[in-house]
Amino acid sequence: MLLTRKSVELLAPVGTWEVLEVAIAAGADAVYLGGKRFNMRMHRTDTNFDDKMLKQAIEYAHKHNVKLYITINNLLSDREIEPMRDYLKYLETIQPDALLVQDLAVLELVKELHITIPLHTSVMMNTHNEHAIHKLKEYGITRIVVGREMTLPQLSLFRERTGIEVEYFMHGDMCISQSGQCYHSGILFGQSGNRGRCLKPCRWAFKLINEDTKEVLDENGPGPYKLALKDMCMYRNIPELIQAGVHSFKIEGRMRTAAFVERIVKTYRKAIDSYIADPAGYVTNETDWQDLYENRSRDFSTCFALGKPDASAIGFTGEREPRFFSQAVKEASVDSMVPMKDTQQATLIADTYKPMLSVRVADITSLKSACENGANVVYVGGEAFKPHKAWTLADIKEAISITKKYNAKLIVTTPRATMERECSELEQLFTALNEIKPDGVMVSNMGSLNLAKKFTSLPIQTDFSFNTFNHLAAKLLKDNGSVMATTSLEATYAQIKELLTTSQLPIEIIIHGPIEAMLLDHNLPAMSLGYNPLENPDMCDKHFALLDTANEIHPIRIDQYGRNHILFAKDLCLLPYLVNLAGAASYRIEAQHYTPELVGVLTKTYRGELDKLTNDLQNYQYDKTIAEKIAKVSPRELGVGAFRYRISR
Amino acid sequence: MFHIGILQLTQNLDDAVRGFKQGLKELSVEADFHYFNADGNINELPKLAQELAELNVDLIFACSTPAAKAAGNLVTNIPVLFTPVFDPISVNLVDNLEFPGGKLTGMSGMVNADDKVKFIQELLPNVKRLGMLYHTEDSNSLIEASNFRKAVTDKFALSELTITCKEDISLLTETLPQDIDALFLPIGRIIEENFASIAYYTDAIDVPIITSHAPNVVLGSLGALVANHAMLGKACAKQAHQILIEGKDVKAIPVGITDKPEILLNAFVADNLGIEIPASLLAKATEVYE
Repeated sequence: MLLTRKSVELLAPVGTWEVLEVAIAAGADAVYLGGKRFNMRMHRTDTNFDDKMLKQAIEYAHKHNVKLYITINNLLSDREIEPMRDYLKYLETIQPDALLVQDLAVLELVKELHITIPLHTSVMMNTHNEHAIHKLKEYGITRIVVGREMTLPQLSLFRERTGIEVEYFMHGDMCISQSGQCYHSGILFGQSGNRGRCLKPCRWAFKLINEDTKEVLDENGPGPYKLALKDMCMYRNIPELIQAGVHSFKIEGRMRTAAFVERIVKTYRKAIDSYIADPAGYVTNETDWQDLYENRSRDFSTCFALGKPDASAIGFTGEREPRFFSQAVKEASVDSMVPMKDTQQATLIADTYKPMLSVRVADITSLKSACENGANVVYVGGEAFKPHKAWTLADIKEAISITKKYNAKLIVTTPRATMERECSELEQLFTALNEIKPDGVMVSNMGSLNLAKKFTSLPIQTDFSFNTFNHLAAKLLKDNGSVMATTSLEATYAQIKELLTTSQLPIEIIIHGPIEAMLLDHNLPAMSLGYNPLENPDMCDKHFALLDTANEIHPIRIDQYGRNHILFAKDLCLLPYLVNLAGAASYRIEAQHYTPELVGVLTKTYRGELDKLTNDLQNYQYDKTIAEKIAKVSPRELGVGAFRYRISR
Repeated sequence: MFHIGILQLTQNLDDAVRGFKQGLKELSVEADFHYFNADGNINELPKLAQELAELNVDLIFACSTPAAKAAGNLVTNIPVLFTPVFDPISVNLVDNLEFPGGKLTGMSGMVNADDKVKFIQELLPNVKRLGMLYHTEDSNSLIEASNFRKAVTDKFALSELTITCKEDISLLTETLPQDIDALFLPIGRIIEENFASIAYYTDAIDVPIITSHAPNVVLGSLGALVANHAMLGKACAKQAHQILIEGKDVKAIPVGITDKPEILLNAFVADNLGIEIPASLLAKATEVYE
């Protein structure tokens, strides 16, 4: 297909009116910005537009033939649904060219309110596969901001198979974690990266250590800023980007100054126009490149666009880090929850209330241990963290025969991130499961939900990675075949409580276990230690960890896909708060990283407490020594996660 | 038409630049601007200042102390207006405030330490022991800590606490005195940027923070008494008018200081800590964050 001026859209970030004017004058085809409410840049109130300014900005942009998109890409808690309804009604009257959304509730609201504005999914929706797109299209999504982990060939395939318009972050600040799947700031500080308040723990200084021996491994390494991803820059690869079929070239930086945005827009404008005018004769303008390079903030990388990045994508020394947002702190211990105002107010539960106790395990021995000690449901499958092996079909069959014996259910889980490879594998797996007949499957994203629906008739549960925060998101999941949703790991006590009363879908709460701060497609140990993973496959079986400046140790676990999962230093333990959380359909222990013995201890403990609780809620008394006993046999200290906070912001 | 160079250290100072431009407009000083922002990178400033010198601008508006130093170090005679520089004497930008004596003058970002003490007394009348946390490698922090120490006299007992690098903040859980009723943060970049980690630890022991940096109030400080950057920028515009239009000599234009510091409060934090903000303060506050 021949290229025209309309083949590519140069999309600029706007934080202030001044930036709006210069970005448009510099040649942006479209701009995106946030209102004062609900968007991903909530730290600086002065870089967002109030309602009146939004209207003026749209008029200004349209007068200059420029499109304007408004970001409402925040997760919502139930109490924010009503304000969001009002906001959407207002946005409908001013008609921006699109809305960028993250929370599934917004898709529901848009339908309910008959909003006519086109919808784009935010990068926070973490879209990596075509099956998610097919589903999202049913909800009126016309464009996808794809996950940052996508390579250009993957994007091309994606577009060909779905016909969706693709928007790609091609210049600016990047996240090292998969978008929407980073819980570090949200859980530790109560300021969520999924709600525009990220305090960037990825920019802290770390040492790489051997988790078992605590030996520091990178004393002579390239530097302490191991997660400090450089800024994306595709300037030297504009032909590849255009030919891959990326429609919208997105520049990051809604907090940037006018001069900064202007330079980038101008430079890319010139290059894009020059390429479209004469693709075969295009050469990179070295003077412009020099100017862009000299005025860079961090150093540059092409991140995943041209393939999996290596150590050169990380700014190990921290020299060019423009600013920091936080320093490492000691994680909240198990007894540091905010006081619950309704502690004494026992939840009304029916006599017939019998919640499930579920346990996620890594192997058959642990599965037996869970069953013997009173688990109602066991989860297997999904990510296998090395040195554990992935679950084979034979393993699953065996698991089913064991759970049957104990009258427990077996649910097969699926990986959190599903790209091309994982999706194809899931098609096979789901088809095979129809024969093997476990009691259900659990999926982790919209794409795998859609696949499960298509390939199996088994009951489907949705995992925490859907970031379910409110009843409308739960409704959407229910409408799409989910029989149970897991709450977001960032949800606080009050937010979970609210969801328990409003959700039409049964709710599962993760109450114990190691929780993941970040999910990375990078190989951290290899990047820091400089070994070749091909020549050192056994290195993946080692237990590495990051030691932060508060002396907290964050284990790194590597799965069968090579992804790195960075855990919090403390394992979640909500045992003391169980009584206040009555009303959930299921309580889950994440025990994949535990020994079979510990799986047994934990299952037995929680079984006992749940039974006491359901038998006589009014007289239930929590005994502090129980958590202390668990702490003694746990590999890490116990923490309280997001429950440290009244609400997650 | 004048050519004015703007040298800015970080985006945190956007308001000052905005106020400066607005002020010039109101005074009908016509100018085109050459704008350089080091985006937090202090080492870039001398190079950027040099570029402004080569553009032969009529005046440089330097935002922050390092920017003022970079512009002051140029071998040209281009006049330099600075803000917010906390104490321009101690960092050798001017000889004295009344008669700067060189090519630099501007607006100090300082808020009188006595006013800060009074503000804390009014906001937290029951405070007996006040903590003060500052960064020993930051000259402005040292000056404000010294001023504040003098102003406190016998009004509160003061527990001083220092960090020498940003990573020290991680260990505050071990060093933060448990007996303080509130924590005061003098100005200083490292403390301000990493405020969330400080608040993380003070929250755990129910200690309110009084900051000196406006954006920290949104992030979880109980309150602050601050110089409004936009107003400082505007006041610099007046000084620019004196230099460019009235032809006054820079060395004789006194360095100004804000006479109307603003009160910022955070009601959400107050509620969390069970603190009732006095109605008198709420009425005077420029902004109360919910």
